[in-house]
Amino acid sequence: MSVTTHTPSEKLAIRRTSANNTFFRVARYVGVRLLTLFITVVIGIYLTIMIANMGGYVDEIIKNQIRDSVTQSVAASPNAQQMDPEVRKKLIADRIALEEKRRGLDTPIAVRNARYLVNALQLDLGRAINLTSDAGSKQVRLIILERLPATLLLMGTSQLFLFFSSVFIALTLSRSYGSFWDKLVIALSPTSAVPPWFYGIFLILIFAAGLRVLPFGGMVDSPPPPNTFDYAVSVLKHLMLPGLSLVLSSFFLSVYNYRTFFLIYSSEDYVEMAKAKGLPTRDVERTYILRPTLPNIITNFSLLIIGLWTGALFTETVFLWPGLGRTLFQAIGLYDVPIIVGSTIIYAYMLALTVFILDFVYALVDPRVKIGE
Amino acid sequence: MTTTSEKLLNIENLVLHFKTSGGSVQAVDGVDFELGTNRAVVILGESGCGKTSLSKALLRLLPRNVDKYSGKVFLQNQDVMLLNDEEYRQNVRWVGISLVPQAAMNALNPVLKVGDQVAEPAMIHLGLSKAEAYGLVYKMFQHVGVPADFVARYPFELSGGMRQRVALAMALVTSPSLIVLDEPTSALDLLTQANIMNVLKRIKHELGTSFILITHDIATSSELADEVAIMYAGQIVENGDAKDFFPAPLHPYSQMLMASVPRLRSDSDPMFITGQPPSLMNPPAGCRFAARCPFRFEKCSQEPPVFQKGNRKVKCWLYQ
Repeated sequence: MSVTTHTPSEKLAIRRTSANNTFFRVARYVGVRLLTLFITVVIGIYLTIMIANMGGYVDEIIKNQIRDSVTQSVAASPNAQQMDPEVRKKLIADRIALEEKRRGLDTPIAVRNARYLVNALQLDLGRAINLTSDAGSKQVRLIILERLPATLLLMGTSQLFLFFSSVFIALTLSRSYGSFWDKLVIALSPTSAVPPWFYGIFLILIFAAGLRVLPFGGMVDSPPPPNTFDYAVSVLKHLMLPGLSLVLSSFFLSVYNYRTFFLIYSSEDYVEMAKAKGLPTRDVERTYILRPTLPNIITNFSLLIIGLWTGALFTETVFLWPGLGRTLFQAIGLYDVPIIVGSTIIYAYMLALTVFILDFVYALVDPRVKIGE
Repeated sequence: MTTTSEKLLNIENLVLHFKTSGGSVQAVDGVDFELGTNRAVVILGESGCGKTSLSKALLRLLPRNVDKYSGKVFLQNQDVMLLNDEEYRQNVRWVGISLVPQAAMNALNPVLKVGDQVAEPAMIHLGLSKAEAYGLVYKMFQHVGVPADFVARYPFELSGGMRQRVALAMALVTSPSLIVLDEPTSALDLLTQANIMNVLKRIKHELGTSFILITHDIATSSELADEVAIMYAGQIVENGDAKDFFPAPLHPYSQMLMASVPRLRSDSDPMFITGQPPSLMNPPAGCRFAARCPFRFEKCSQEPPVFQKGNRKVKCWLYQ
């Protein structure tokens, strides 16, 4: 074993160059990383635009809709009935052309997509085709902002509850491998194959239709209670069933998942060593199981947080919950491309940002991770 | 022979069986031995003979599939097998017995500074503040030859030899009376092995610690050993003073094990033992070594008792 010795001035010089190196390394890493993430986002959004437009087929659908409505409105007008058929045909053709021009369907799809992409990347989400916000706006941004709180309330409560309860229960179960509760959770984990909206229908049948203790759907009583406390109670009552169905459909699988994860990490040599050292169980779990697995847990947690954004499409629909998921569901049914793309863009940006931040978080919680090496 | 009251450690009929799908594996099957203060015993044997399981049974580091765990383990005249898990944790772990594990590589938490990991037992068992515990850490690092500024390093920043020394410092920090070393040098190169053995010798001399050294490395271990215990198929077949053992082992298995060590400056080829050790799932009745033993006779179909031969104990009918 040999230890190299340096004079103080040498040490200082070494430290200074290594600090410089670190700065350049991190700066270079940040630049490259942001660029690659941006390219990924661009590709992702472009693909979403293509898919949401069905590669241009949505244009055909909309053109047909325009033709239909124009023909019908012309046919319904008393003036047109006395017109010469040729003139009427020309009138219809003119009005179709005008409407197509208004909607921008006269420019080629490739050009429109490119323009759309540039706007979308600047978070200029445009206007919805069919949907409007409750306040009457067709601005995609306003529609999304209006629905966001309801989704955050439903998804936030259920997913946070799910996350913390499954991590805590899983940690307890991993301590008693093979016990009755452990086996019960394993046996029940296939229940997660059933989607949440299916549980939702059952819960509605039992608690709303059968027992009549909780409401069928919606977010608040109609008319809404005037004072804040009653309002909150009403929202809470409406939140119960959709929240419960979201939790129920993932709970056992989630516990099973984390329990297996903790079991694997609790058979590491250093965990046994910590037990041999006579550390109390709480310390062993906190410092020797949770601490080394923190990067994985943080990853799961942050993906969960940004996953709140998309909402729960079917569950919100089943419970008539006025959130983003239900709006997205409606938008897909109505080929309302701007809303689908708008929601995806925001998700893509959030995902890219999360991935970017996570790299730094890993370096903070795990000394083995060095940024840009 | 000294009486129990003067012994640091006295193990009587220690048994540890594991449950597997094929049946019960008798990894430790009726082990007895004693160890005095400031003595080092080397437990030798082939891979799979139950050496590591013996250390696990001794330290109550049991896997989940334990089938049978019984016997008496007197540590300073207290039967620690009678303690419940919490009492055992507070009174035995790292206070009475500490461990230097087989793979020190993985025995350190990858995300904690080694100084913190070494200080931890001192803070928990001796009730020291972090600063006081670090005082002990520096002292122990000096004992085992780790530079003091390594306290702020993470395990992945240390070499294998350094990590092993850190594990040793960790075992010493609470000044336990007994340290179990489970193949502490088997993953290291020869020079580092020699270094570690020298550190162990010095610690034994300076701190008066007792060691149980579990290894299959006969040559290295002979430097430290005061006593030798030979383990075969979950049992101790010979146990006694190292000075008498090494020149003339008694049990046929011990003799063949010693003969299998290659020797410098000798024309004789190293010997090997024909056959395989018996399955610990269904060990043969009678002497477990009988099938491979060149001296076997009718008596060997019965389980041999332990015979006292001078200051050695041997489990073989030849010494009746």
